[in-house]
Amino acid sequence: MRAPYYIETLAANGDILQRQRVDHLPIRIGRGYDNDFILDDAHTAASHAIVEADGEDGLLLRDLGSHNGVIHRGQRRPEVAMTGNTVVRLGHTRLRVRSADQPVAPELTDTTMHGWEGTRPAVAGLVMIGLSALLSNWLGDAEKFDPIAYLMIIAYALAGGLVWASMWAVANRLFGQVARFGRHLFIIGCGLAVMEVWEMGSTMLAYSLSLESLTRYGRHMYIVMIGVMIYYHLCTIKPRHARRFALISTVLAIIGSTMILLSNLQSSGRLADEPYMSVLYPPVLRVSPNHTPDAFFRQAQGLQAGADAERGKGGGDEEAEDDSEE
Amino acid sequence: MKLSKSALLLSGLCAVTGVHAAEAAAPAPVSTIPATPKATTATTAAKPPPATAAPAASEHAALPPPSSAAQKLYTAARADILQVRVLLKNGRTQSSVGSGFLIGTGDLVVTNYHVVSQFALDPDTYVGEWVDTSGQRGNVELLAVDVLHDLAVVRVNRHGTGFFKMPAAPSQLATLTQGQYLYSMGNPLDLGFAISEGSYNGIVTRSFYDQLMFTGPINSGMSGGPSVTSNGDVAGVNVSKRLDGELVSFLVPARYAQQLLNQVALQAKVPKDFKPVVTAQLLQHQEAMLVRLLDTPLSLKAMGPYRVPVRESEQMRCWGSSNVKADKPYTVDSTSCAMETAIFISGALQTGQVSMRHEFLRSNELGALRFGELASTSFRNESFGSYKSAHLTGPHCIEQFVKNKTLPLRAVMCVRAYRKFAGLYDFALLAASTDQPTMSLQSRIDARGVSYANGMRVTRTFLEALSRTSAEQP
Repeated sequence: MRAPYYIETLAANGDILQRQRVDHLPIRIGRGYDNDFILDDAHTAASHAIVEADGEDGLLLRDLGSHNGVIHRGQRRPEVAMTGNTVVRLGHTRLRVRSADQPVAPELTDTTMHGWEGTRPAVAGLVMIGLSALLSNWLGDAEKFDPIAYLMIIAYALAGGLVWASMWAVANRLFGQVARFGRHLFIIGCGLAVMEVWEMGSTMLAYSLSLESLTRYGRHMYIVMIGVMIYYHLCTIKPRHARRFALISTVLAIIGSTMILLSNLQSSGRLADEPYMSVLYPPVLRVSPNHTPDAFFRQAQGLQAGADAERGKGGGDEEAEDDSEE
Repeated sequence: MKLSKSALLLSGLCAVTGVHAAEAAAPAPVSTIPATPKATTATTAAKPPPATAAPAASEHAALPPPSSAAQKLYTAARADILQVRVLLKNGRTQSSVGSGFLIGTGDLVVTNYHVVSQFALDPDTYVGEWVDTSGQRGNVELLAVDVLHDLAVVRVNRHGTGFFKMPAAPSQLATLTQGQYLYSMGNPLDLGFAISEGSYNGIVTRSFYDQLMFTGPINSGMSGGPSVTSNGDVAGVNVSKRLDGELVSFLVPARYAQQLLNQVALQAKVPKDFKPVVTAQLLQHQEAMLVRLLDTPLSLKAMGPYRVPVRESEQMRCWGSSNVKADKPYTVDSTSCAMETAIFISGALQTGQVSMRHEFLRSNELGALRFGELASTSFRNESFGSYKSAHLTGPHCIEQFVKNKTLPLRAVMCVRAYRKFAGLYDFALLAASTDQPTMSLQSRIDARGVSYANGMRVTRTFLEALSRTSAEQP
């Protein structure tokens, strides 16, 4: 232990609110102006506590008879041995005491791209949002060309992207001092662009190779992408908690996927999103072979067992008298 | 669907079929059935309200008796026409009502199958009851059903006076000539017994089994009642009417009632459970239907370069439509063929029917990619029915790229089993051509209430008949 000493008050999440240097022991702490460290906390006494050397190269914080006392790990103590990481609560104030020989963590590599902030990522994000909206609308547009429809779609998409990015920017400003609006806009732009690419790519792949499960369970991939987007948004706010955020995003994605599966099961009795693959693309994209009608109807013969088994189970909802296919 | 335009003349059940038809049709007077008997305000469709009908009867004595055939017939037949009611076992409240008539001096009553379908299929929940014109009532016992012609024979605990005679041989039945008067009796809308006059207009061949066309007013609740000639000979049994027409009604020919009565006479004991009986009849129907459908090769129609199979016959009508005038960058032509009638099994289940549909989609303006999206959207929204149905299992499907002799296709086939009728299935086959980037033929066939072998046969015939001509059409 060596002078000088630093008293640090902490927020609940560990952020330092205030730091004060004190050159010698003992350090008197309290609300009164005769203290070395003055607490602006109505729940503390005028002379609340004192930090002294314990005689063995350590520090000891002692209660000076305050009404609310010194709380360490939820329990009131007359005195607490203060290592550099011991946090005590006096009234509503959380504080710790560190000396000049407190060891610190090694320097972190800076992975933040400081050049990619502000206007440039914002514009890139907006462009990606606009382009993916445009592409998606163009692909699905089987009406006569109508420019206003495209303009409306782009306007809605951009507005949506801006609202989404704004919410993240507000959170960023609250928890990370700066807003980083451009970065958040860039993330949503990337997310939408990847979703658009996945939608086209996965359906083409499914059609080409006859991989029906790609379209049957395709919605889960969007959940994963949203999860990744949330991960990047969170990491933009607090770059240092990557693992925690990865866990949060994974849990959110699992919840999302489970909800999709359950709602499919409820509405259609199966886990898949659709009963059959409906995509039809130009023949040049096809790689998988054609089957003969013989093979197809052999497979169809196999359906009988499944249908009969379900029939045997009874089931069916007597309330649902109206068959939906009528 | 076309078939929904014709309504069965059973009050209560009409509420089910009538809903679909309401769009095309006249005000179907089905609202009376849930209402209490006193609620005459609901019966706007019924022209003579009971209030005016009652004084009319008492004025009879003062007026010179009009010797109309209808009056004579009604007076003579009055004792032998019954109302047949289906009651909930618990509480004995009526679930649906129809009519029926006593044959000869025996205790057998002919009515429609659809009048008694609830207690035929679900005897644990429903029971039947008869009420005659003098207000007497009693229980009915179901003896036989004929779901294909929509007939049933029940036994009641009273005897007929012998007005309605049913000769043993078909040759002894009255011969009918078009335009001759027929008189239809029953209890319309549960208001009271009535007789209505109309004319016979030949045999309708649109339904799979012959029906007589009766141009006269018959209403819900008259189902199962007799239609007789002016001599009192039974011509047929009231069964249904078209909701999109005026006075277009249908009768089951008397010879089918005769056959069923003969069958009852030979029957050693009454079946405990009618589901196997209904199943056997449905199996027999689908066999006959498929033989008739496939005895000659399906006829091929051209849609662009494709040839599509259809069957046009008296029972199966084809309708076409196109968006050619619409201001769109693609054109779509569609042809759909369907049987106009189906076999009534219960209020929510009509079956024994085949329908086909072809859609030909093409575009010169949309590129291959966008056309692909359009074709996918069109291929997507096909329903195979809910898994929650009480009558059918959920759809069990397979899908594959298939190539028949000339045409590569994406094929999807779904099968559903009937829960109550073992051995019967609904088949649906969906096929989309995959040979052209900016042209798509999408076809669907539905075979409802068929055996597995026949379902496989008809879908396979359909799939293999889809083809394209080798010469490219401009």
